[in-house]
Amino acid sequence: MKSISELLEKTLTNSPYWAEARYHRRNSQSVSVQKGLVKQAKSNLTSGVGIRVLVNGAWGFSSTSDLTPQSLEKALKLAIDCAKSLSQLKKTLVKKLPETNLARGEFKIEGYESLKEMPFEQKLQAVLKAEELTRKNSKLIQSATCLYNEFFEDKVIVTTDGANAISKLARNEIKLGAIASKDGEMAESHESVGKTGSWNCLFSRSSLNEMADNAAKLAVDRLSAPRIPGGNATLILSPAMVGLLSHEAIGHTVEADFVLSGSVAQGKLGTQVASPLVTMSDSGTVSGVQYSGGELLVDDEGVLTKKTTIIKNGILNSYLHNRESAAIFEVEPTGNGRAWLYYDEPLIRMRNTYIEPGNQSLDEIIAFTKEGYLVDCPLGGQADATGEFMFGAQKVTKIENGKLTKMYRGATISGQAFEVLSTVDAVSKEFLLDLGSGYCGKGQPAKVDAGGPYVRCRATIGGVQE
Amino acid sequence: MNQNLKPEKERLEIAAEKLLSYAIKSGADTAEVCGSYGIKTKITLEKQDYHLASSDDGYSLGIRVLKGHRQGFASCNSTDPTELKEAAIKANEIAGFSPENPHYTIQRGENIPTEAPHNLLDPALTDLSIQTQKEWTQLMVAEATKDKRFKLNEGTLEIGTGLSLILNSLGTHQIEADTAASWSLMGMGVEGETITSFDYFSEISRKATSTPEKLILSTRKFVEEVLNNLKTGKSESYKGLVIFTPRAVLDILISSLGYHLNGRVIAEETGRWGLNDREKRILNSKITLIDNPWYTDRAGCSSFDREGTPTRPMSLIEEGVLKGFCLDHYAAHALNLSSTGHAAGGPSSLPTVSTHTLCLAPGEETKIGLYEKAKNAQKSFLVVHRYSGQSDPVTGDFSGVAKGAEWWSHGEQKYYVQETLISGNLFEALGNDLMGLSKETEIIDSDEESPTLLINNISVTGG
Repeated sequence: MKSISELLEKTLTNSPYWAEARYHRRNSQSVSVQKGLVKQAKSNLTSGVGIRVLVNGAWGFSSTSDLTPQSLEKALKLAIDCAKSLSQLKKTLVKKLPETNLARGEFKIEGYESLKEMPFEQKLQAVLKAEELTRKNSKLIQSATCLYNEFFEDKVIVTTDGANAISKLARNEIKLGAIASKDGEMAESHESVGKTGSWNCLFSRSSLNEMADNAAKLAVDRLSAPRIPGGNATLILSPAMVGLLSHEAIGHTVEADFVLSGSVAQGKLGTQVASPLVTMSDSGTVSGVQYSGGELLVDDEGVLTKKTTIIKNGILNSYLHNRESAAIFEVEPTGNGRAWLYYDEPLIRMRNTYIEPGNQSLDEIIAFTKEGYLVDCPLGGQADATGEFMFGAQKVTKIENGKLTKMYRGATISGQAFEVLSTVDAVSKEFLLDLGSGYCGKGQPAKVDAGGPYVRCRATIGGVQE
Repeated sequence: MNQNLKPEKERLEIAAEKLLSYAIKSGADTAEVCGSYGIKTKITLEKQDYHLASSDDGYSLGIRVLKGHRQGFASCNSTDPTELKEAAIKANEIAGFSPENPHYTIQRGENIPTEAPHNLLDPALTDLSIQTQKEWTQLMVAEATKDKRFKLNEGTLEIGTGLSLILNSLGTHQIEADTAASWSLMGMGVEGETITSFDYFSEISRKATSTPEKLILSTRKFVEEVLNNLKTGKSESYKGLVIFTPRAVLDILISSLGYHLNGRVIAEETGRWGLNDREKRILNSKITLIDNPWYTDRAGCSSFDREGTPTRPMSLIEEGVLKGFCLDHYAAHALNLSSTGHAAGGPSSLPTVSTHTLCLAPGEETKIGLYEKAKNAQKSFLVVHRYSGQSDPVTGDFSGVAKGAEWWSHGEQKYYVQETLISGNLFEALGNDLMGLSKETEIIDSDEESPTLLINNISVTGG
């Protein structure tokens, strides 16, 4: 990696303009099993260098998988030509990038070697076993799946203004699925976990056996559960659901590129956007939480990541920035510039996004809820620039007079995020980052995590109308 | 083939031959290489302005090996012999410890029929100057920013040329080149305090001559649709008739239907239907669904699939009767049938099953006639264009937000709604609850095609 760092530095000495060279080698391995049969077991290697330049206020980019000095020089020249060509069209030229605390040295997240040393065959056997446990958990389980992915990420980021960072991390995830069936009815369930670190860190909360048990039980329970009636309701969102809300419905609206395009968060810094009980952050590392799925020490612009408080006691406090948007807003970059592969340019992306815990227990919050639903086990979701969101949930349990009663088959919940956050009247002390194997999509994927405490609020449940 | 791609084709074929040879030498009984080469220039838009210009090219090669009934796979993005050898060894190593699966198979592909598309390359696009690409981008930006209420968040205009190759140790050797101009825009409408949901569209064109006009018209249509959403209001909750426009039909209904027509799902018995349901009535008799990979102006066009099997147009459902399933070699082997050319994937993935370009056949009523039917039956109803939600492919249940949906009341369109959820079931919607299909169809995102549908018993929950 040091020789690559030197090679990149040497390449950039030929640039009369600001330039960034990013080497990225990703080795991924994956195995999936369904109904006792291995559906895929594979290994992928992708490596190369992406070169980005800023010329006359315009960005140019080129990439190559060939690490010879000649090929890197050609890529640099192509990037410069692209930027020159675009600068004639740009209405607003990119400002000089702000000086900031750029990363230099080696940055490594624990678990890389340990995961690499564990034989792939052993992981495959564990996946086979987990699928079998899920499938054999109940006679009602018709089919089960188990998927395991791991990524070893090696990066070197060099910029002409001083970054020179070598980073290494490993991410892994495991997903279990079950389909239960009875009398022509079918129900599906999913259970997943995603971490940054070793094999063992995947199971710091639940063992693989427990995950298999949970997936099977949820599918069976959903089979006989009724469909939920639609309408506006009081909801207690689980940490995983709060994570989805934080990431999808708030996080995207405060990404500075979306803000500049006119998202609902534009012009709202310093204003009350949520209940005073809500404090929300996005961070590369989370105090007290190890191995989070979105853990990141240095971003893909060579900026050291730090904790950004997006909402402080209900007041919008900060947007999320890369170096370009930080220059526009005249603030420090927040370390949110991320690229998926070497041939992708860095975009503003989240890392770990969460609401800070409160001081009530979940039991207390349920006990003081006359009528409502406990919403858990997310099933994906989307939101847009207005903050309007839609999330799926696999498990919804009715609360009546302070007690959990019957379970429904699942639901979609919807609302306008800031309005929903303004209705928050209880926040638990229990706290989890729990986005499972979630990825964020914004032209490129990004591995992220999200979570928080249990939060009580009001939103719309999409269900059956009689 | 264009002269300019000759060296790249040669380099790709040599690398693929080497990879195949390394795989056999390191222990595989049979092996298959999937390779690609791509070169693209892209102009990216962001925040109402030009953002970045880029130029990239690269190779990608994947090797699938079989040792008896054990399978292994590895890929790399290099033509360097050392990396190719490592990939071949890795694939064999994985096959060595993977359990047996009797359905893994590599077979010799047949010849591509003469009627199949043989030339997806337009030299005028392959050799397009960066100056012309800039001019085309300017056309798109000018059209998108004509009305100041439209806010362009992101956009791209990309010219890409590529090669796709399938080679196997049983003699299959298929190679195809294609060029496409592709563009996309994401944006929203802003007027005073009113902000619409953001919307997205993408299109492709395989001919340089038709690109500028297609680019302007598609951008104009997109911006108009986004700005329509500025007139917002609330919907009421009800259960009853809803009109699904072609994009909604494809996003909510046809995408889930694809799951139940996937041969691997049939083999695993996790779908609604099985082999014995062929030639049986499964949906409303108004439903005819065809998968056609031979439309050269569509994104899903290809003359062979991920395993080198020639593609062909195929009726999946005719007048509500199930005619067949989409099969790759794995599913075909498991079901004792032949592949239908539906293996999907690229050099870094193992084959899966997917459709090419699904087309739902038109009905007999006019679109206006469908709206009249709804007006006569109900005081108010919803017209769904886009959807953000969950579709459970197994049960067919769907539930989510109807984005930019129109609210019609007392016979006229009143406004566009926000925070309105719809839910229903695919099999009921395309079964007894299907009230009509329009004769007019629309191609969505240069790929799939559908008429407008009128469907009953959909639950609508107003925000």
